[in-house]
Amino acid sequence: MSWFMGIDIGSAYSKGVLTGDFKLVASHIIKSGADYRKSAEAIRTELIRKVNVTQKDIANTVATGSGADNVYFASQKASDIVCTARGINNVFPQARTVIDVASQSTKVIRLNEEGIVTNFTASEKCAAGGGRFIEVIANVLRIDLSDFSRLAARSRSPITFSTGCAVFGESEAVTRISEGISKQDIAAGVNKALASNISSLVKKLKLEEPCAVCGGGALNTALVKLIESELNTKLLIPSQPQLITALGAAIIAAASATS
Amino acid sequence: MYFAGVDIGSTMTKVVLTDKAGNLLSFIKGPTGAEHRRLANEVMRQALEEARLHIDDISYVVATGYGRLNVPFADRQITELSCHARGVSSLFPGARTAIDIGGQDAKCLRIDNGRLASFVMNDKCAAGTGRFLEVTASALSIRLEDMGDISLKATRRVPISNLCTIFAQQEVVALLSRGEKLENILAGLHDALASRVAALARRLGIEPELVLTGGVAKNIGMVKAMKESLGCEILVPKEPLLTGALGAAILAKETYKKAPAAGEALPTKSRRLEKATFFNQEYR
Repeated sequence: MSWFMGIDIGSAYSKGVLTGDFKLVASHIIKSGADYRKSAEAIRTELIRKVNVTQKDIANTVATGSGADNVYFASQKASDIVCTARGINNVFPQARTVIDVASQSTKVIRLNEEGIVTNFTASEKCAAGGGRFIEVIANVLRIDLSDFSRLAARSRSPITFSTGCAVFGESEAVTRISEGISKQDIAAGVNKALASNISSLVKKLKLEEPCAVCGGGALNTALVKLIESELNTKLLIPSQPQLITALGAAIIAAASATS
Repeated sequence: MYFAGVDIGSTMTKVVLTDKAGNLLSFIKGPTGAEHRRLANEVMRQALEEARLHIDDISYVVATGYGRLNVPFADRQITELSCHARGVSSLFPGARTAIDIGGQDAKCLRIDNGRLASFVMNDKCAAGTGRFLEVTASALSIRLEDMGDISLKATRRVPISNLCTIFAQQEVVALLSRGEKLENILAGLHDALASRVAALARRLGIEPELVLTGGVAKNIGMVKAMKESLGCEILVPKEPLLTGALGAAILAKETYKKAPAAGEALPTKSRRLEKATFFNQEYR
């Protein structure tokens, strides 16, 4: 059996998948931390441990993400846009648009039936355009990121942020807390702001259905629901949305090894 | 006859007292708390004490800054833009452009005949304000007031690639852990902020003399970076935080003197200095 590895080093999390016979057989996610080289190594070690093979058994490795340069053992690098498209095409071949809600930015990609990118756009390099806005506010609210969606879903009157900046939004959240506004209304306010930013990004590129959503932001089901209602469409959600880009990298690793 | 200017900024509250000739009698600065009113009273009380005056001695009070509506003893509210323009031109009569970089916004003003002629401002993105330095200083565990001095020791100016304050915060920590020298990173941070503010100022057009005010003007590294970014000389007042409050005091004097001449009655507020509370409906 031939094994292929895809490693996606993002600004917040590093993700890796191992495929065998074109199927995902193992995956691993860790926080990226300050040393991306170490993160990459840790992921490789864990992946080969999980399937009980050695480094030599990995036929090819492709790296992607903003920290791809640190994956020194990869044979090639691929753009995260291309990897996300290939990954989503593997899971949902019918998808013609994919929204990748990552920590650093949100990307909207249009793709054809072969998983080839036909057009794409990304949010400005601003924390308020991606999942980082949620991380920042979750930190102020002292809630776990995994509780964010559940908390936001309970809100009856989400706040409206007066600012589009995550730093000013952080101060605004602190003020709201001191005014006695509940955590769920603040969390729901963040989702509302982010959903509106993401939806206008999708509309800028023009939505072609069916549309999928991936990246860590796709785990926030309250956010996904808001995007669905703004775009008036049902979104396809993979079971492990954070792994899609790494999966795409592994697929490219397999394709370039066999061609 | 005495006049007061009260400037409630996002980070600091400033009070300036002048006599009828416009001479500075006292000034006090204190951090702006969650409740502007209570602090305005406290800072005013200290300023009066220092000038050996009583609140009843003050003929007219002008409040400015983003918390200007929360000063119970102010007779009139005037925007910080007009007050800054007036304060700057009283210190530097030749000033035609003023750049004020505060903790929550940055403003560029054009001044004509001592008055505000036009302005541009950024209050949308923290990366073009003093907050950018505050956040990154705390990420690097150094005091905000030490940033400028340390940056002057730089042997190399490390470019900061992220525009966003949140991402820059992460970037500087990574640079430091990679062994980059603190002073070189700081020089890069100053350049990053300077280039953003310079871009804002260029939208307005810069005419000499140029005056830099606001808390950021106290940072010597920032003055240097702004000079290089704009390619012109920069004047800095001795107390760059006070120009807004000073302008408010001058405008208080002018309002007080002009109204009777024009035959108008000048309503003034009661000069109570007791603690106001959030629930005092009179001032809501």
